[in-house]
Amino acid sequence: MTATIDLVAAVREFIAGLIDATADAPAMLTGREAFHARVAANALAIVERELGGDAAAAEIAALAPFTRADAASELLVTTAAAVITNRAAICALLRARAIDAGTPGLVDALIVATCARLAVDNPRYSTLARLAGDAAAKG
Amino acid sequence: MNAALAALLSRATGHDVTVAAVTPLSGGASSATFAVDTTRDGVAWPLIFQRGEGAVGMPKRVQAALQRVAGAHGVSVAAVIAVTEERDGLGDGFVMARVEGESLAPRWLKGAAFTGARAAMTGQCAAALAAVHRIPPGAVAWLGGGSGAAQRAEMFALYRGFGVDEPAFDLAFAWLHERMDDVSATVVCHGDFRSGNFIVGPDGLRAVLDWELAHLGNHHEDLGWLCVNAWRFGVWQNAVGGFGDRAALYAAYEGAGGTAVDPATAHIFEVYGTLRWGISCLQLADDHLAGRVRSVERAAIGRRVSEVAADLLHLLKYGTI
Repeated sequence: MTATIDLVAAVREFIAGLIDATADAPAMLTGREAFHARVAANALAIVERELGGDAAAAEIAALAPFTRADAASELLVTTAAAVITNRAAICALLRARAIDAGTPGLVDALIVATCARLAVDNPRYSTLARLAGDAAAKG
Repeated sequence: MNAALAALLSRATGHDVTVAAVTPLSGGASSATFAVDTTRDGVAWPLIFQRGEGAVGMPKRVQAALQRVAGAHGVSVAAVIAVTEERDGLGDGFVMARVEGESLAPRWLKGAAFTGARAAMTGQCAAALAAVHRIPPGAVAWLGGGSGAAQRAEMFALYRGFGVDEPAFDLAFAWLHERMDDVSATVVCHGDFRSGNFIVGPDGLRAVLDWELAHLGNHHEDLGWLCVNAWRFGVWQNAVGGFGDRAALYAAYEGAGGTAVDPATAHIFEVYGTLRWGISCLQLADDHLAGRVRSVERAAIGRRVSEVAADLLHLLKYGTI
């Protein structure tokens, strides 16, 4: 059976095929349509990377020391929804001034969490490589 | 639209103008831009028509007035040819010259043909900003703006309105809360002065585009925004827009008659600008998610939030990016 990640890859390759000229035929799409097709193919590549790894688990693990103890048990499930809940918990603490940039380990934990997300969203983004040393050291 | 534009242009110029083609270039939630191919007295005359969509943002007639004032103060801009009136049936818009050159920043930031342009851009951008900041605040009515505290509070309200929780953004808001609140807002700022909003030729800066975010602010704000990492298009080593360095920009700005630059205040606005780009990513994604502008491009921009989070964390940890 075709796995979800393989289905997404198939659609991505189909879309990419519309914007690439071959030896036999010119590109099917040009101009703005080709631009949007490229964006669409890139979006599916994000989905593939998200399905192929476990960025959610990495992010939740990195932030676990800073989320409230009573919420921690709910956050063991590393779904996309749990990631949203986890970020909300951190933001609530920041807005309440319970934690801030001076809180030991917080910025480094957010760097680890953000690097895990960037590896899915845009692995070629220059700041990922610049921060990756930190993430490797702390993660 | 062709006949209406021809009538407007003939009336505004006193010449016989015919319109051969109107080609949409880009559309957004607040404005649409068209390439207009015309002939004036039989000679080809390429123009741009920009029209407001909906009632948000700066009215196009205000933008046209500001663009004219900026040109009169020595800023390179596309000459405004005509501004629409009610009777034209074209909506709120204006027609300007189509300036020849490259508007796609990655091309002029990386292309071999633009080596000379890149060398000239720091000085040219500094001079342009010094000239913008010399425009009398009363020269154009309508300009909004506010103190550092007001700007930060407005942006935080916008952020919270999206219902998205992004820890790096809240961290940056808290950092800015301690630093930018008492910054004064006394000069006309372009508001979107960045590598993606220029037309560049082999000789450098030819036109500064997109004046619709102009407002009263602090002169460090435009300087900081120009240095936001997103506008370096991967050439992050060149902090100023992917082509220059900060110290050279500040020196050239002062040399062109600009008010003294405080690097620490410019840095605060670079952090503010980085966060502002992050909020824009959320806004563009929300345009799609809320159904105002369904677009795969806007949906995908929502995932650029993690790029901005990384930039903000780098700024907070190392004091620079």
